Amino acid sequence: MSGAIERQLHIIDFTVSSLLRRKGKNGALLTVYTLIVFILASVMFFTHAVKREAALVLRESPEIIVQRTLTGRYQPIPISYVESIGEIRGVISARPRLWGYYYDANFLANYTLVVPADQQPEAGTIDIGSGISRVREAFRGDTIGFTGHDGKPFAFVVNRVLEEESRLLTADLILMREADYRAFSGIPPGYATDLVLKVRNPREYTTIAEKIVKLHPDTRPIVRDEILRTYDALFGWRSGLVIVIFGAAVLAFVIFAWDKATGLSSEEKKEIGILKAVGWETSDVLLMKFWEGLAVSLTAFLAGVILGYCHVFFTSAALFAPVIKGWSTLYPDFRLVPFIDLADLVTLFFFTVVPYTVTTIVPSWRAATIDPDSVMR
Amino acid sequence: MIRVRQITKTFNSGRPNEFTAVSGVSLTVNLREVTVLKGPSGSGKTTLLGMVGCMSRPTSGRIFLGEREITSLSERFLTDIRRRTFGFIFQRFNLINGLTALENVMAPAYPSGERFSSLRARALAVMEMFDLARKAGARVEWLSGGEAQRVAIARALINNPSVVIADEPTAHLDTRLSHEFMAIMRRLKEEGKTIILASHDPIVHDTDLADRVIEMRDGRVIADGAGR
Repeated sequence: MSGAIERQLHIIDFTVSSLLRRKGKNGALLTVYTLIVFILASVMFFTHAVKREAALVLRESPEIIVQRTLTGRYQPIPISYVESIGEIRGVISARPRLWGYYYDANFLANYTLVVPADQQPEAGTIDIGSGISRVREAFRGDTIGFTGHDGKPFAFVVNRVLEEESRLLTADLILMREADYRAFSGIPPGYATDLVLKVRNPREYTTIAEKIVKLHPDTRPIVRDEILRTYDALFGWRSGLVIVIFGAAVLAFVIFAWDKATGLSSEEKKEIGILKAVGWETSDVLLMKFWEGLAVSLTAFLAGVILGYCHVFFTSAALFAPVIKGWSTLYPDFRLVPFIDLADLVTLFFFTVVPYTVTTIVPSWRAATIDPDSVMR
Repeated sequence: MIRVRQITKTFNSGRPNEFTAVSGVSLTVNLREVTVLKGPSGSGKTTLLGMVGCMSRPTSGRIFLGEREITSLSERFLTDIRRRTFGFIFQRFNLINGLTALENVMAPAYPSGERFSSLRARALAVMEMFDLARKAGARVEWLSGGEAQRVAIARALINNPSVVIADEPTAHLDTRLSHEFMAIMRRLKEEGKTIILASHDPIVHDTDLADRVIEMRDGRVIADGAGR
């Protein structure tokens, strides 16, 4: 038993020496491999963290949103619809919402304006997200100005800067009082941006949505599940923008592994011949190549995953966040909450470490099965 | 005793480039003797050594190691015999560049599973025999021709084989180093090793060390007699 362990240790020892004496080649190999794992791991961590963040936020969001459309375009919805929709069986509550977007041409940034359902700021004051506070350098007590819908200037005093747990969706937020919002945005009294409904039974969503359309043919109900599906489509593993990055990294890995699988330098072949000639079995050579593949791929895997983790959670995915993070030109300075999905890590492990190790062994197996006397020629 | 019975080795059998390197060779190698295979390049010496040393199998014929017939053994058993019984010294030494002299010497014993400390001590002791202890930590590509040759000999002896096989050992050595090599072979013979040398260098085949000289040409034995 101890002999078998010693044999393993000797072969590992020899493998490490082998790796170290080809520092340049193995270093380059390790760098490329680490880079690929880094990209794959970054994509994985980022998409999961964003989806988790979104799920946390959407957990609090209404089950159904009702918008009004005119020839397919969005229109403010009459608040009078609340009464009739609220009476539909299964609807617990219905309330109007006032919100919209504001483009700040001076700072090239989009803000989201919202009138909160309760605890509205005092007249003439607003609460702002951390992103706006940073961009406008505005803090509690400061006055900031915006241009209203009619071109008139509006000045608001900052009541507080929002420091929410989820910064992705609050960074560009401005909360204001209803009267201020109507004056600022031009939405007339009696109208709202949309209506939000609370529904008791999730299985009734579709039926209720159909009833709303029947009652008010100019409305478009949006079910929360559809929003979640949109997030999935955008940030899911196999869809959206992510597939482009992911696909490129996988392709790079395939080319890399293929190159490894088809190539064994004449020096490496000669070494295998020497080892066989001096008494190594084919299985010893394959064991050495297995340890070699595992050492490189495991090191690259661990380094890539750790770098990916740091990239996503410490630098807020600095490399591809500007591409992935939504429509706003204001990049929220947010930190995703660190989160690791073990199943995904295992998947990544099996899709990188295992194929690489196998592709290290296969060409060596071909070389190791030749007669050792070839080394004498 | 090693007995070779009517062995033939054909490469690329059935192809247009088919080539028979050894043809119907029979011979006996006595233990604790020095046997020299002599002949020009391409006469089949290396191929014969390879088959005797369990590195390849003959296309036909049989080889006996003592009473054991070894040609029909599986690769695993052949490797085991090769490791325990034979020590090889190759024409170009075939050391593994990048590794130290000590690592090269220890390499044949790695699959045996011997404790590292005792293996290292044994390897250093063998190197000491050849005045190589000081060079144990040096990478083999930094060694002189003579030192590299002695490392190759030390490697061949690490598993304490009863038979040492050397293929054209002096082909890349100058006269002084060639005589030095033969002096080492003499020591090994005195220690009771069986030595088989293949060479077309007179320093090797005209030596008084050889108990037998077998001359080969075109894959066949053309003369078999006592040494000088």
